[in-house]
Amino acid sequence: MALRDLSLQSARSLRKSSFPRSFRFRYNVSRNASTTTHDQDLEPSSSLSIPAPSSDLVKDFDPAERARKRRAELGRELPPSRYRFRSPKYYRGPLHPHQPPPPSDPTSRQFIPGPFSLPRLEQTYHSTIAPDLMTLAYTHFPPGYRAPPKAPRLRSWDETSPYHKNRPLRAPRGHTVLPLLRPPITWQNVPRLERVTVHAMVREALEDKSHLHVARMVLQAITNVRVTTHRAKGSVVGWGLREGRQVSVSAEVNGGDMWDFVGKCVDMVLPRIKDWQGVKGSSGDSSGNIAWGLGPADVALFPEVEVNYNMYPPKMIPGLHVILHTTATNDREARLLLSATGIPFYGKQVN
Amino acid sequence: MSRHIPSATSSPLKRPISVSRSCKLVHHTQVRHATLLKRPKRPYTFTQLVTLSDGSTFIHRTTSPISVCKSAKDIRNSALWHPSSQKLLNVEEDEAGRLRAFRERFGRGWDAEAVAENEDVREGEEKVADRDESLLDLISGFGQEAEAQGQAKGVRKAAQKSGKGKMGEK
Repeated sequence: MALRDLSLQSARSLRKSSFPRSFRFRYNVSRNASTTTHDQDLEPSSSLSIPAPSSDLVKDFDPAERARKRRAELGRELPPSRYRFRSPKYYRGPLHPHQPPPPSDPTSRQFIPGPFSLPRLEQTYHSTIAPDLMTLAYTHFPPGYRAPPKAPRLRSWDETSPYHKNRPLRAPRGHTVLPLLRPPITWQNVPRLERVTVHAMVREALEDKSHLHVARMVLQAITNVRVTTHRAKGSVVGWGLREGRQVSVSAEVNGGDMWDFVGKCVDMVLPRIKDWQGVKGSSGDSSGNIAWGLGPADVALFPEVEVNYNMYPPKMIPGLHVILHTTATNDREARLLLSATGIPFYGKQVN
Repeated sequence: MSRHIPSATSSPLKRPISVSRSCKLVHHTQVRHATLLKRPKRPYTFTQLVTLSDGSTFIHRTTSPISVCKSAKDIRNSALWHPSSQKLLNVEEDEAGRLRAFRERFGRGWDAEAVAENEDVREGEEKVADRDESLLDLISGFGQEAEAQGQAKGVRKAAQKSGKGKMGEK
């Protein structure tokens, strides 16, 4: 405490001494003079000087009465359905006279109101994480700097063989596809969380459909969004999978729900998992999307599931894959972003 | 003109089929000339106040109808997020040696030895072998005791078998 006081005092004295006397004097003058000298700069007109409305005008003002009169003139009031715009139920092509409004329009059938809340993690991202990431990724180029020319990303064939003619260009070394480019990070493209996919493949659903229903319920409770069901694309004999059977559910979480979900995971669910080391450092698809898995026991730790755990049949709660899609173009930056949000990583980090 | 008029034989056959098909389409699939604009379905969410273990609170939207969620174990008291915190480290405080004394007297055999040596047990293999021997002693001793008391031999056999199984696992 004493130390703090001392430091405060010293800071105060420093501040006093650092201002030159002339400056202080001028500062004081300008403050005191504002009442006298700057009056000419102010606009003379004021709303306070306008007189109040006359008493008879106030007496006549009765909007309810006026509305009643207007209705009496019309005869009868129209029902609300008659004059309110209703969006068409079907989109019947661009040439149809009755076009639906865009989904952002409140009259549209697809309109989603909101956002009504600013999630905690989103606030943290905008206030601290994003500026930090931008600072970390900053590279200074002196004025007049020109980036050295780079070789083309796709190699050309050396014309040693006549068969090289008209071939498409060669793939880059070490890749069959072009990896994403990393543009220099500015305030406009700081890596951010784009969306979260929560996915559960329920193998037991092949025999018993109720497993799928439970998985749907769990996913919806956890993520706050509606869940989509997926069918098997092909048959795998070893797994007993047949084409066209419903085997998995997934939820795409965007916006506020996404921030809530990630915040909930980090703050309450992941710390409760027993002997959890973190997300594996080699996780990621090398283009900035990172995933981890949660076992059935871990999914039961979500507060929404825990609240009415008895509602879910035992041993039917599924395991999940959580895939975080970021706008980062490589795993290193995505990992930096996620570790800033509080997700720990362990092991060797593969980029 | 005559070409456009369908033959009397074909039309009665075709018509009913097409009608039934269109009825099916209405129920199951989308017709191309009219795309249904679905109203988005969203589960109802409540605003919930979360109280973390250190007393800090925040609000978030969940499907859970409980208004206040108190958590006992979370990021604030998890050792993984606070690796340098002495409070969260699961270190046994045994200044007077009472816990050790208790373990020597009542504890399991392998625990007592590890504490007595005061060494990291994971280091050498010899120690592991010692432990296994002591375990074996315990099991065989248990069987002998039962025999001395004049109980059935089947019980002793079962005990020995289980002991061997454990050895095999390790």
